Amino acid sequence: MPESDIALQKYDALRERADAEYAAWRNPERPRIDIAMDTSSLANGARATGIAIHRVISERNAAVDMGQVHGYGMQWIHPSVQITFPNGETVLYGPVRPEDAGRIVDEATGTWGAAADIRIGMITGTHEGVPSIRDHEFFSLEPRERRLMRNLGLTDPDNLLHYIARDGYRATARMLGRHLSEEAVRNQLNDAGLTGRGGANFPTGVKWNFLFGAAGDEHYMVCNADEGDPGAWVNRVVMEGDPHLLIEGMLIGGYATKAKVGFIYLRDEYPFSVERMERAIKEAEAAGILGDDVLGTGMEFRLRVVRGAGAYVCGEETGLLSSIQDSRGMPRVKPPFPAQRGVFNKPSNVNNVESFANVPLIIQHNSEWYREHGSDKASGTKIFSFSGDIPRVGFMEVPFATRLEDCLRVCGGIQGGQLKAIQSGGPLGSLLPPEALPKLILQPDSFSPWDAIMGGGGMVFMNDQTSVLVMTEALAAFVEEESCGRCTTCHGGNQRQTEIIRRIIDGEGRREDDPNLALIDRTVQFSNCVHGQFSPKITRNTRVHFKNDFEAALLGVDPTLTLKGMYEVYVAHQRPEEQAAAAADICPTAAIQGEPGRRRVIDEACIRCGACFDVAPEVMGKRAKAPKPGLVPLA
Amino acid sequence: MPLETEAKARVRALVADLRPNNGDMMTALHRVQHEFGYLSKESLEVIAEQLDMFPSILYGAASFYDEFRFHPPAQTTVRWCSGPACRLRNSNGIRDAMLVTLGMEELHEQTEDGRVGMVLGQCNGCCELAPMVWLEQHGEHGPTQTPVGNMNAARAVRMARALRDGSDLDGAINA
Repeated sequence: MPESDIALQKYDALRERADAEYAAWRNPERPRIDIAMDTSSLANGARATGIAIHRVISERNAAVDMGQVHGYGMQWIHPSVQITFPNGETVLYGPVRPEDAGRIVDEATGTWGAAADIRIGMITGTHEGVPSIRDHEFFSLEPRERRLMRNLGLTDPDNLLHYIARDGYRATARMLGRHLSEEAVRNQLNDAGLTGRGGANFPTGVKWNFLFGAAGDEHYMVCNADEGDPGAWVNRVVMEGDPHLLIEGMLIGGYATKAKVGFIYLRDEYPFSVERMERAIKEAEAAGILGDDVLGTGMEFRLRVVRGAGAYVCGEETGLLSSIQDSRGMPRVKPPFPAQRGVFNKPSNVNNVESFANVPLIIQHNSEWYREHGSDKASGTKIFSFSGDIPRVGFMEVPFATRLEDCLRVCGGIQGGQLKAIQSGGPLGSLLPPEALPKLILQPDSFSPWDAIMGGGGMVFMNDQTSVLVMTEALAAFVEEESCGRCTTCHGGNQRQTEIIRRIIDGEGRREDDPNLALIDRTVQFSNCVHGQFSPKITRNTRVHFKNDFEAALLGVDPTLTLKGMYEVYVAHQRPEEQAAAAADICPTAAIQGEPGRRRVIDEACIRCGACFDVAPEVMGKRAKAPKPGLVPLA
Repeated sequence: MPLETEAKARVRALVADLRPNNGDMMTALHRVQHEFGYLSKESLEVIAEQLDMFPSILYGAASFYDEFRFHPPAQTTVRWCSGPACRLRNSNGIRDAMLVTLGMEELHEQTEDGRVGMVLGQCNGCCELAPMVWLEQHGEHGPTQTPVGNMNAARAVRMARALRDGSDLDGAINA
C-alpha cells in the first residue's frame, strides 16, 4: 500500500501551481488573442490568420498577447479566434481572415465594435448586446454544462496546468490517495452505464473486468484512435481539444486493470492529433503523472502513441493489435479475445478514445451524476460530428436519446434541396431514408429497426440533388479497398459488389444485379471480422430503403442526372459567348468543339466532370439519356 | 557503394533507439519515410536488421499500409479527399478532371516526369471545406501539406494544368 495521502499531496502541489497559472490566463493583465488551433481551423487558414494578427501586434507595438485554444464546435466559422479581456470576458469571432487582423487587434485593444460583424458570442462573461455562446442555436441541444468538451475554448490544450486547474487529474489523485479499489473503479463505470463509444456499445467496465482477471501481471491498455469512418471526427476533437482527458482515462484504466503500459493507436490522417498527444504525454511524464511513480504512489503507467498508416481495418481491435505488433494490420478470428491474447500475446484491452474520455468524469463525480443525461438505455453524453448538405458543419456534445431531427434543425436544416438520405456509422454503417428521421434518436437501439447502426458519431446528411447511388459507390469502393484480404468472401465479394454498382452507374444495369447483390450480401456476411460482416450493408440499405432509386437506376433512369451513364452534357445556349468559350477552354478532354455560335459536346469525349458547368452555368445543360430499350423492368 | 552506405548510415541513426518486439515497426517506417520521402530497399534492410525481422516480412507488413511508399513521391502529390461530404459536391468530377488533365488512368500514379502524383485521401473531418484536396510537396526540408478547400471541377482542371505545365499554381488556385 502506498503512503496514505501522498497522491493527494502531490496533486495539491500541482493544483496550486495550476490555479495560479490558469487564473493569470483567464484574467490576463493584457488582452489576449487566442487562435483556434485544430485540424479544421488549420485547414481553414488559422496559421495565416495567426501570422497576420501577430504582424499587426508587432507593427503597432500593441499591448496584446497571443495564445491558442481549440475550436468551439462551429467549424463553418473557422478559422476562429477568441479574445480574452483582463476582466475575464472571452469573446468568440469567426471566420477571421488575415485581412481581419487589424480589426481583431482593434477590438482587443479597446475599439469595441471594430469586429462586431464577425463576433459570434461570449464564451465566458456577459456583455451587453453580445449573446452567450451557450445560447447559440447550434449548441441548444447540448447540456448547459459541457462534460467531454468542457475545456474547449477555456484552456490551451497544450497546457497541462490548465487541465489540472479545471479539475483534471483530480479523479486520479482521489482514486490513488483514497485507495479506491480496482473493483470499485470498474463498478462505478458499470453503474454509470458507460459503453464503448466506437460503435460496438459493449460495457466498458465489463471489458475491464476481463482484463483485470486475466492471467499474468503483464497487461496492456490500448486506445483505438484509428477513427477511420469518413465523416466522423469525434476522437479528433477529444485528442486535440483535451488530450489529457484521454491520458487520464487511460491512466485510470491502467489502475483498474493492472496494466502498466498503454498504447494509443492513432490514425495517420490526424498528424496534429499525434503532435498534441505526444506533447501531452511528455508533459504528464515530466509532472510525475505518467511514468514509474504515478503521483508518488509507486504505480507504474507509461503511454505511447503508435501512428497508423492509412489502413481502415486497423480500427478493428484485432487488426489494431496486429499493427502494434510489427505486422500487417489484419484482423484475426476471435477467440482468443484481446483480454486473453492481445499486444505481444499478453492480455490487453482496447477501448475507443471517447470511452476513455468519459472515465475521469465518472470517477470524479459519480455514476448518478453521469446518468443525469441520456436515457435508460444509454446514459451520459456523446460527441457527434455533422456534415454534408447542411450550412453548419461542426460537432456538438449531446445527451443520448437526443432526436436526430433536432440535430438537423440546429445544423441549419438541409441545404440545396430536400433530405434524401442520412449516412451514419461510416462505410460499414447505414444509409437511412428520410422517413426514418422523425423516429431516430441518438441511441444505438433506435437505429436497429432500420438495419442501421449509430456508430462512432459521424452523421452525414444528403439532399436529393445527388443520387444515393453516388454514395453507395463511394462506400462500396471504400470497403473493397480497405478489405485486408484474409477472407475470400470479403475481398472477393466486395470487388463484385463494387463492380456491379459501378456498372449500374455507367447505365449498364442488368435484371440479375439485384438478386446478385442479395447473394453477395448473404455470402460476404460469412467473413471473420466485422469489416466483412458489415460490408454489404450499404448496398442492402440502398436496395431496401431506396428501392425506387435503385430500380430506376437499373433501368438507366436517374432524375438527379448525377449518374455518369444516364445523362449527357450538351450546349443548351450558345450565348453568352464568353461563357461558351470558357467552357470549351476549361474542358479537360476538349469535348466541347465547334465555332462560336455552333459549339457542341462530343459525347464520347465527355467525362462528365462538370468543369464546364462551373464556368458556364448559363450555357451548359444536362439531359437524361434514353433508357436502354433492351432492359426488361423487374417484376 | 559510398552513397548507399551514407544513406544506410542515416537510416541506422534514425532508428537506433528502436528495439525488436517492442511495437516499434510503425514508428521506424514513419521516421524513415518522413526523412527520405519513401522506403527504399536499403532502408528496409536496415530497419529489418534493427528490429530483428526478415526484410521480406518487414516489406510484407509495410506494404499492407496505404501510406507507405516504396518509390520516391512526385514533387507535388495531389491528395484527393474521398470523404462523403466531398462526394455530395462533385468530388468524383474533381478527381476525374485532374486525372485526365495529368494524363493518368487512375489514382496512385505519377506523371512521366515525376513532377505530379495523385493519391486517394481519407476524410479528416474538415467537411465545411468540402470538396477538398491537399497538395503535398516533397522538398529538401521534408513534406508539407496544404489543404485546398471549396474546390470545383474547373478549379481542379486549372490546378492540374498548372502543376503539369509548371505554371502559376497559386494563380490557378485563386482564379
